[in-house]
Amino acid sequence: MNKTNARKRMLIGYALVLPAFLVVMLTVAYPILSSVIMSFQDGKTGEFTLENYKYFFVTESQLKNIGFTLYVVVVTVVLAIVIAYLLALYLRFVKSPISRAIGTLYLLPRFIPGLVAVYAMITIIRDTGVINRIAQLLFNYDFKPAMMYHASGLIIMNLWFNIPFAALMITAGLGAIPDSVIESARDVGASRMRVFRTMILPLSMKDVVVAATFVFMTNVGSFTTPYLIGGNSPKMLGIALYDQFNRYLDYNRSAALSVIMFLICSVSAGIYIYTNLKEKEWE
Amino acid sequence: MNTKRLFAILTASALLVGTLAGCGGSEDASTSESGGETGTVKDVQVWATGSDNVRQTFEKLVSDFNANSEYVGTYEAKLNFILSGTGGGTLADQLVAAYKAGQTDTEFDVVDLGDDDLTKILSLTDESVLEDLDMSKIPNAEGVTAEPVAAKGKIQPYRGTTVILAYNSETVPEDEVPTTMDELVEWIKAHPGRFAYNTPGTGGAGDSFVRTSIYNFIDDDSALMSSDPKWMEQWDEGFAFLKELHPYMYKSGSSVVYPNKNQGTLDLLTQGEIDMCPNWADMVLSQRKAGTVPEKIKITTIEPSFTGSVQGIAVPSYSGNKEGGFAFIDYLLSPEAQTILVQDMAAIPLVTEGVDLTGAEELMSMDVSNFRTQALGDLVTDLNARWDEEIGTLG
Repeated sequence: MNKTNARKRMLIGYALVLPAFLVVMLTVAYPILSSVIMSFQDGKTGEFTLENYKYFFVTESQLKNIGFTLYVVVVTVVLAIVIAYLLALYLRFVKSPISRAIGTLYLLPRFIPGLVAVYAMITIIRDTGVINRIAQLLFNYDFKPAMMYHASGLIIMNLWFNIPFAALMITAGLGAIPDSVIESARDVGASRMRVFRTMILPLSMKDVVVAATFVFMTNVGSFTTPYLIGGNSPKMLGIALYDQFNRYLDYNRSAALSVIMFLICSVSAGIYIYTNLKEKEWE
Repeated sequence: MNTKRLFAILTASALLVGTLAGCGGSEDASTSESGGETGTVKDVQVWATGSDNVRQTFEKLVSDFNANSEYVGTYEAKLNFILSGTGGGTLADQLVAAYKAGQTDTEFDVVDLGDDDLTKILSLTDESVLEDLDMSKIPNAEGVTAEPVAAKGKIQPYRGTTVILAYNSETVPEDEVPTTMDELVEWIKAHPGRFAYNTPGTGGAGDSFVRTSIYNFIDDDSALMSSDPKWMEQWDEGFAFLKELHPYMYKSGSSVVYPNKNQGTLDLLTQGEIDMCPNWADMVLSQRKAGTVPEKIKITTIEPSFTGSVQGIAVPSYSGNKEGGFAFIDYLLSPEAQTILVQDMAAIPLVTEGVDLTGAEELMSMDVSNFRTQALGDLVTDLNARWDEEIGTLG
């Protein structure tokens, strides 16, 4: 009686998981697998080949695209994390009406549709945009920011999207550090700098790394921002992939590039998993 | 996590679209039952496809046909519109299916066909899928010189659109507006950084500029209509020309930039960052009408012209009411219908007499019979790839 009940319960458990499992298999595992297979196939004959990969590591413009993407993404990650960290510190340790107001407002960008935000940014940074007009009005100087179609424009847009996200994660991490710990350290004579270096920074490091990996991964494959703000050459990989898939209709190379992007992201995913495991060890 | 959620949304919307398509199907069925003869007034089933602005225009045309045309009392038009990209069978698929099923008396009385749909249908069937146009029943078509890309004598062009040169009339004085490609090149070189065309493959205007630039160097006019790889050997001169133009294109922060999409160059033009760019006539005019493009932006054509396309309408050979179909075609070429097409879609009219061109006066001087059409087929892919490699990377 008990046994059948347990088995029944087990079956119900599987039944509950099954739909989610099938959806993941069908929409995530299967496409990844078929992409990997396709990336090693010749477009016409279907035979095994490494040409699809070779193309991306031999063609100069494609190598530049990979380098450019890494440059934009790494600069984005570093700047976003540094700024977000400072913002999070301020929000955590300064209690004033201003900090409370900022604490509510900084999440606003997360609620603005991406496309709207990109067009708003374009109106500001384009060579005849808001910056240019203010410069003309105040200093009578035709200042051209030269950000549109350049890496700086992409990075500034990425920061707009990613600082609130990173700050949200880091603030949560800093919030978990109890005031009592800091106060007791201060009581026994530790300087502010020392408290930060030996307590706050190590305790929030995990959240910083996690935020950094997320920012990294979401930006490697970004499309809307580089499509509207980026130039023709070099391109972000998201656009290079679009070219292969939609413009050249080369599905095997598209698959290879997808795998390359997947591998670039896996580095960051690896760091993420490693940090999580390390956390477990500490416990 | 994010991908999972995305897929959940996609699945849900796919189901929703499926449901809607299902509803659409049953609606069609009910119209065909209630259709047919009602007294002496015969129904004409008009079929069209496209985006929502096309639907709105067709609704206007159909209600004007039923209220004001010379066919009131003889025919009553009924619109069957298939919104593009909503799943279900496309109009072209349905037409091919009806033909292959050997039907003879269907509700497809008259169908609106763009170049792509027409080529698709003809590639899956043969020309007998369309009825020969009975010109005696389409008196308004007299004087229309525009020709379709295929199936001449079976499909009647009724509106067109083309890539034109858009320019800022405040910075380009009237006597400097180029009228030929050579004058345009001269102007571009005399005004570095004031011209831009969009990356080919991201919008028809840039496509047209690049393709005509390259094919202007090929003497054979039929090359633009051919997907034969032999023409690739003759692209070198055209690419050398584009390379020569490159340093004079729009610059941002000391490097030349080709914006993505037709809207990309149009934005640069309206912002005053450039003075000239190729763009679609209907795009510029409809945005000017809406006020997003200022009045100072004007359009003009040059010789040899950029490419454009004509939209045609035809009566399938298995139409149940061919006479009614011809009547609707005749109506489309009336000044009243052409006015609706100009005012609503900024289409280039094929009949100009009696057509109200207010707000789109430039269309008057455009000769649709001079439209260059192009159909490069698969060559487009190679052409775009070569442009990306040789021109896009120049920086």
